[in-house]
Amino acid sequence: MDRRAFLKTFASAGSLAAAGGFPAPALSQGAAKTLRFVPQANLANFDPVWGTQYVVRNASQLVWDTLYGLDSKLQPKRQMVESEESSSDGLTWTFKLRDGLKFHDGEKVLAKDVVASITRWTNRDSMGLMLKAIQKELTAVDDRTIKWVLAKPYPKITYALAKVGTPCCFIMPERLAKTDPFKQIDEYIGSGPMRFVRADWKPGAIAAFEKFKDYVPRNEPGEWWSGGKVMHFDRIEWVIMPDPATASAALQNGEIDWWETPIPDLVPVLKRNRNIKVDIADPLGNIGAFRLNHMHPPFNDVKARRAVQMALSQEDYMRAVVGSDTSLWKTIPSFFTPGTPLYSEAGGEPLKGKRDYDGAKKLLAEAGYSGLPVTCLVAQDQAPLKAMGEITADLLKKIGMTVDFVATDWGTVGQRRASKNQPGQGGWGMFHTWHAGADCVNPASHIAVRASGEKAWFGWPDSPEVEKEVAAWYEAKSLDEEKTIIARLNKAAMEHVVFIPTGFYYGYQAWRSNLEGISNGPLPWFWGVKKA
Amino acid sequence: MLGYLLRRVLATIPVMAIVALFVFSLLYLAPGDPAAVIAGDQASPEDVEKIRKSLGLDRPFLVRFTEWSLQVLSGDLGTSMFTGLPVTELIGQRIEPTLSLMVVTLTLAILVAVPIGVIAAWKAGSWLDRIVMALAVLGFSVPVFVVGYLLAYTLGVAWELLPVQGYTPISRGFWPWLENLILPAIALGFVYIALIARITRATMLEVLSQDYIRSARAKGLSERPVLFVHALKNAAVPIVTVIGIGVALLIGGAVVTESVFAIPGLGRLTIDAIVRRDYPMIQGIVLMFSFVYVLVNLAVDLIYVALDPRIRY
Repeated sequence: MDRRAFLKTFASAGSLAAAGGFPAPALSQGAAKTLRFVPQANLANFDPVWGTQYVVRNASQLVWDTLYGLDSKLQPKRQMVESEESSSDGLTWTFKLRDGLKFHDGEKVLAKDVVASITRWTNRDSMGLMLKAIQKELTAVDDRTIKWVLAKPYPKITYALAKVGTPCCFIMPERLAKTDPFKQIDEYIGSGPMRFVRADWKPGAIAAFEKFKDYVPRNEPGEWWSGGKVMHFDRIEWVIMPDPATASAALQNGEIDWWETPIPDLVPVLKRNRNIKVDIADPLGNIGAFRLNHMHPPFNDVKARRAVQMALSQEDYMRAVVGSDTSLWKTIPSFFTPGTPLYSEAGGEPLKGKRDYDGAKKLLAEAGYSGLPVTCLVAQDQAPLKAMGEITADLLKKIGMTVDFVATDWGTVGQRRASKNQPGQGGWGMFHTWHAGADCVNPASHIAVRASGEKAWFGWPDSPEVEKEVAAWYEAKSLDEEKTIIARLNKAAMEHVVFIPTGFYYGYQAWRSNLEGISNGPLPWFWGVKKA
Repeated sequence: MLGYLLRRVLATIPVMAIVALFVFSLLYLAPGDPAAVIAGDQASPEDVEKIRKSLGLDRPFLVRFTEWSLQVLSGDLGTSMFTGLPVTELIGQRIEPTLSLMVVTLTLAILVAVPIGVIAAWKAGSWLDRIVMALAVLGFSVPVFVVGYLLAYTLGVAWELLPVQGYTPISRGFWPWLENLILPAIALGFVYIALIARITRATMLEVLSQDYIRSARAKGLSERPVLFVHALKNAAVPIVTVIGIGVALLIGGAVVTESVFAIPGLGRLTIDAIVRRDYPMIQGIVLMFSFVYVLVNLAVDLIYVALDPRIRY
């Protein structure tokens, strides 16, 4: 009996006597069958198409199944689909669903549900929008067969249906999937391995999932989002803990089993505890970003953008964000995720070698920079962004720029970055963010590298060369061809300075050592995890 | 008395109306965009704009305010922009943990602070008095979250005596309920104990110098009834006032305490709503807190009558 158990017994007896008989607490029944998990953020809404936050996707993977799922080699594998067929011209795709798929309300998963789900998703996702633009017909042929006819071939169609970048193509019942994609669904029925316990959902506190007895996992071993999703828990509780110190204490105390995102400062403490295991969470890591406003001075001039690029030290940023443990970060002269098949450093020279402050000053002078303040939006409530912002303020001053440092919160950055006004009139000059490595493996989910002007992501870079390479990648038919295109794309984006990568870094995850089966991946995968 | 009560209850209506207008205007002027938060970092500016429209955030101030006011008048605080759940339901989920935390903290604070304040006054100038006052200064000076972390580390992690986070409803048993509240109540109660103890000491010092106390002692009463019956009862009005004011402190402190101890109460709901700019949620919570505060003030005024027969409304 440990001290807490002793105290509990003692106090229960005491309180019973004192209070005249309150029921003593039952020991947590079936604790081995319940997993208590602390996610990266609060599950504030639960519609993976309406809200594209990663935390929503991560919870949705339990409740909603997908037609395909990516394996650890980033290859799409069949999930709900039993077989697919493509016509010789690549214009007609026919998908057949696995037999026995059921929604949590007991209804069969039918082809019409898939059609409605794909239709909703194609209104929100970047790949989906491309598919929608070339779609001639999307129909349910029979209960298990879906036909998708396109006006031109789209070789990455199964990748689009499998990708982890948000929003993912989750399959919902038709009645839910018919909801306007810009409005939230109000029922949470899926066909995934766990069902959502709506009654136990307290946004900001807890979300609970119970095992779906009728779920039939695939026979292949589970690997990332592919293969058999075999659940070893009857219940998974997501406990929301905004304070990392509390989560750390709770993990050490055994009050939780798994913490998705321990902060680097607390990792040494966790590593010293023999009851806790700590490891890199996602081998695809994150890429820090220095996002510039291409619309207004000074960064509407490519010379000013290149000036910052040649002076920026990724090492400074990474040490500020992650610390001195160099196994946790690396410098990358690339917009793409290192260690993945398409990674390229072509054109990355400006980010390599000794940083050139004098050269930067010279370029700024050539750009006609005359002291116009650079409005830096720095979110103070996001530790990595705060750290990056401080390095940036120092960097810009070093190269002779005037800094208008706007210390604010992420909510305000989210609003202000959408403003296309002049920086002095509610607009901005630069802000920091980071991109999940899983989104930067190729241009499909990597919206930050796009340079389509007014239609591009915040900052609105405009480079026909970049866009030409993105379009070419979508049509590439082999990996070698894709690699060649991505090398050209990386070079073009570096030359145009679409944004400036501030380095690549990993995050940790931590769990009680009695848990088995936890793997590294861009999402916390729950299948295959069990308590010893 | 009944007339007074009715007048006070009716007086809450204009107060609430002013609070409503103030909060709504403040949120309208404040920076931040719920649509951007909902859409996520991967969303395009066009998507953000479409979500903003679907939430009705593109409509003029007066239209939105009128619509919301009418909703509130019909007892509906609206729907959370993020969860899609009714604000009343979300507040309802969080009332028990916060109420429990406040009740335990208040009980603890009164049980500790009043006796030590009385003793400090009784032994004014002694080492005991100095210790009590030094602790009171410490209580004022150390932030709630520092006390919270220290308690969680020592009593939770190092000695494994108590849980460091969470909340168990009282329906699952008295001890599981209390177990989760001990550390947060001590952390939150620290400053409150200091406040009440200082006021109790100051008021008691004044009362103890009165003639009727000398008379009580002269007629042979022992110190305990002199202190706790004659003196404390007459010193109670300012103490009750401070306890009432302290409820506002508790509400503010609960925001921090609930974050440190991961208690799913109204404090954390408030923080979450502010961070995400969930306007209906923020408006609902502030209205509710204002209402509670008005009621607490009313309760304090009524307690005055019970404590001091000279006070009549």
